Amino acid sequence: MRPLILVVVAALLAVPVARASERHPTLNELEGEVMCPVCGTTLDQSSSPAAQQIKRVIASRIAAGDTKSQIKNQLVAEYGDAILAAPEHKGFGLLAWWLPIAGIIAAAVIVGAGAWRWSRRREPLLPGPPLDPALEARLNDELRRFDD
Amino acid sequence: MTRSARLAAQGLAVALVVGLLALLIWRVANDSNKGVSQALRDGQHPTAPAFDLSRLDGRGRIDLASLRGKKPIVLDFWASWCVPCIHESKRLEAARRQYGNRVAFIGVDTKDFSGDARSWQRKHGITYPSVHDGSGGVLTKWGGLPIPRIFFVARSGKVVGELVVEEDLPRYLRQIAAS
Repeated sequence: MRPLILVVVAALLAVPVARASERHPTLNELEGEVMCPVCGTTLDQSSSPAAQQIKRVIASRIAAGDTKSQIKNQLVAEYGDAILAAPEHKGFGLLAWWLPIAGIIAAAVIVGAGAWRWSRRREPLLPGPPLDPALEARLNDELRRFDD
Repeated sequence: MTRSARLAAQGLAVALVVGLLALLIWRVANDSNKGVSQALRDGQHPTAPAFDLSRLDGRGRIDLASLRGKKPIVLDFWASWCVPCIHESKRLEAARRQYGNRVAFIGVDTKDFSGDARSWQRKHGITYPSVHDGSGGVLTKWGGLPIPRIFFVARSGKVVGELVVEEDLPRYLRQIAAS
């Protein structure tokens, strides 16, 4: 129960942070979320002229008071969806976010169901044949002597 | 699980794997297509891949296929962040004064901010029309980066050549103007 409460509290604390990031984005965070169109890396890993150009534009849009979504929308309008390092949480982009999670859940269910069936199918351990009474008596004597 | 259900599940799994393999092979085969530039290096003269893109100056669109059979074309792939593009585009601007009536000069501003691209054209006195290929999808069909890339298309729509050596510009211009 306690971990669940911690997760809920953490999620509640993260909401205002995300809202602040949406309203007042920084160049640093956007550099990690936007691709350089000529180098195949994010902007923060590139110093190519094309990356510098986009960084300059992002900085000017931040200074003009644009939100993160507005800046990203402008970049997508100019360069297409591939300019974003991660697909957006809407439309077809949702597939990219939820498909792997659905795959992991499906795999866990399949593995769990398989393990459960396998554990039920195993034959219970049967007791061996009864010992010869003479042998059992001798064994008890030996054990008693060993204990003494 | 019954035997038939197990067989169906196995068949589905095999079909999934085969499907993914087919997708991978298709993707690799498509990637091996290096576009017009590679075809020219292989000695072929492919038909110019069509595009229909918005003009940078906002005056409508340019549909490359609509020029087929009407005018030869010089196609200039450039971007405002590309330093060598300045020199090449200026040379084409000068050539346009001589061949502008017989040859269509078209720029393709690629992987670029359209606002910066318009400023760049004004700054360097480039007056031939350009279209905006922000995603670089058209550039990929013609050969991809690096830029500048300049192609010469005959009146028939066949690509005659790509400018590799600067001295070849007059020869290509004469060749397509006469086509």
